[in-house]
Amino acid sequence: MSVSYSGVTKSFGGRLVLDDISDIVNEGELTALLGPSGSGKSTLLRIIAGLTPLDSGRVSLAGRDVTNTPARDRHIGFCFQDYAPFRHLSLRENVAYGLKVQHVARAQRREQVDELLRLVRLEEFADQYPHQLSGGQRQRMALARALAIKPDVLLLDEPFAALDAQVRAELRSWVRTLQQEVGITTILVTHDQVEAMEIADRLVILNSGRIEQAGRPSFVYDHPATDFVASFLGPITSIGGISYRPHELEIVSLGDGAESATVSEVIRLGFEVRVVLAGDDGTSTWVQLTHDQAKHLNPGVGQRYGIRVRSSKASKDAPLSSNVDAPR
Amino acid sequence: MKRPSILLRSLVIVYVGALLALPLGFVFQQALSHGWGQFWIALHDHAMDLAIILSLKVVVLAVPLNVLFGVGVSMWIVRHPSPLSRFIDVIIDIPLAISPIIVGLILELAYAQNGWFGSAFAAAGLRIMFSYPAIVLASVFVSLPLVSRQVIPLLREVGDHQEQTAATLGAKPSRIFFTITMRSIAWAAAYGVTLTLARVLGEYGAVLIVSGNIALITQTLTLNIGANFESFNAYQGFVGALLLALVSVIVLVFIGVARHRLERKRHVSFV
Repeated sequence: MSVSYSGVTKSFGGRLVLDDISDIVNEGELTALLGPSGSGKSTLLRIIAGLTPLDSGRVSLAGRDVTNTPARDRHIGFCFQDYAPFRHLSLRENVAYGLKVQHVARAQRREQVDELLRLVRLEEFADQYPHQLSGGQRQRMALARALAIKPDVLLLDEPFAALDAQVRAELRSWVRTLQQEVGITTILVTHDQVEAMEIADRLVILNSGRIEQAGRPSFVYDHPATDFVASFLGPITSIGGISYRPHELEIVSLGDGAESATVSEVIRLGFEVRVVLAGDDGTSTWVQLTHDQAKHLNPGVGQRYGIRVRSSKASKDAPLSSNVDAPR
Repeated sequence: MKRPSILLRSLVIVYVGALLALPLGFVFQQALSHGWGQFWIALHDHAMDLAIILSLKVVVLAVPLNVLFGVGVSMWIVRHPSPLSRFIDVIIDIPLAISPIIVGLILELAYAQNGWFGSAFAAAGLRIMFSYPAIVLASVFVSLPLVSRQVIPLLREVGDHQEQTAATLGAKPSRIFFTITMRSIAWAAAYGVTLTLARVLGEYGAVLIVSGNIALITQTLTLNIGANFESFNAYQGFVGALLLALVSVIVLVFIGVARHRLERKRHVSFV
């Protein structure tokens, strides 16, 4: 089922959190609302769920206006960042909660809960209580509980933020698989651009309550519409006042029609090597080399090189955008 | 861990003994000093029995009232904060801060036949002061914050994500309250109930003023004990005191259990 919202505006105590936001999420898609903290992305998710009232604007599910529909009648699955387990209920009772509300008969309820627990691979923990589960297990419980009512849309607020790195990576791809299996329209809030690019069909990048850009992850990465998007999605550097991704540049011997610069720092980060160079005009640029390229060139502090745009980049695309600051 | 020195331990034992155990033991000893037969007769003292019944009638109304108010006001203060609810949050402790005698005087000023509201009730043919309603009013007043002070911190700590999740699962507010909220705060509320119970049963000053302390009619058990001591019927007073002390012990055990459960609940991590 598709989700659309238009002109969504919200302020808290005089501070504008969402400023006239509009977008459409297509049926079956996984959209990531990506932005720094305070960008309004969680508020937008809560507004779609009906948990936070909006000041103005409309929200529609499959073309049906739900702006004034309370959360309980929107038929939406919502997972909080802290998973909000019902602490006094067992895992099975947690998942069954929504079915009980709908007065599903006991036998049928049990069957559906068992099936959901299998889906999230928690069958053997059915009679345990939330505090006996790990963070990842609680997250899967929250997903099963949300999916139990067969919601039209699934909304996930920072679903992986509270997990450690390894579990996060596992769950990320698992959630992606599950979402495609169930085929449910999903909106996910995250501040992690790598996570968003890996999992989402589509990115919506928010900053200070406005949508900076929306589109396919690879397209947005290569064609950022604003300086903010360019720097938020990945590192950028500039040469001659024009912005590039550091891996789009290369260093070559002096001459060759390239800007000349002096190596000021070499940072080795395992596979990748960052070479920071000071241009003759005083600007700083950094170039990302692979381990092998660095080994071949062997740049040292104080040595002089030329910097130029890699031929593959120069011929195919325009630069990212102009007048962007040095890497953060 | 270093064990406390013998001196420190003896000090604590002597202190608690002198303050608590000895007087309590003295009450028991005095109440049973004339043998079980006399004790049995004293238990059937007409004035005391009526006082016990009145005390129970006050508890039966005042405690539920306080629970309703305490839980309701806690929900309001925590879940729907506004300038007014924050103001209530501050002034709700006043009954604990002012002397019960003053509480009694305030109530008398307000509810006496010629008082601020009292005259309106009198016009309707209702008498508040020196009757059962006044005792309930005073009891509720002095124990006003006892439930909410337990419930508010727990409501804050638990947060509203469970409630909102239940809403997205289709639950109505009443269902959310009874299946989610109430389950989270049950032990805190129970602890508040035992504190209220102890306070209502034991209240003397405020009740003394608003009840008029009329034997057989508006005398609670606590007032009855006081009256017996004043009229040199110390033995009857000790029997009443023994009963009140026994109730206190039972309530204390209950408080212990409730607090233990509450602490265990709080130790359970959230995420």
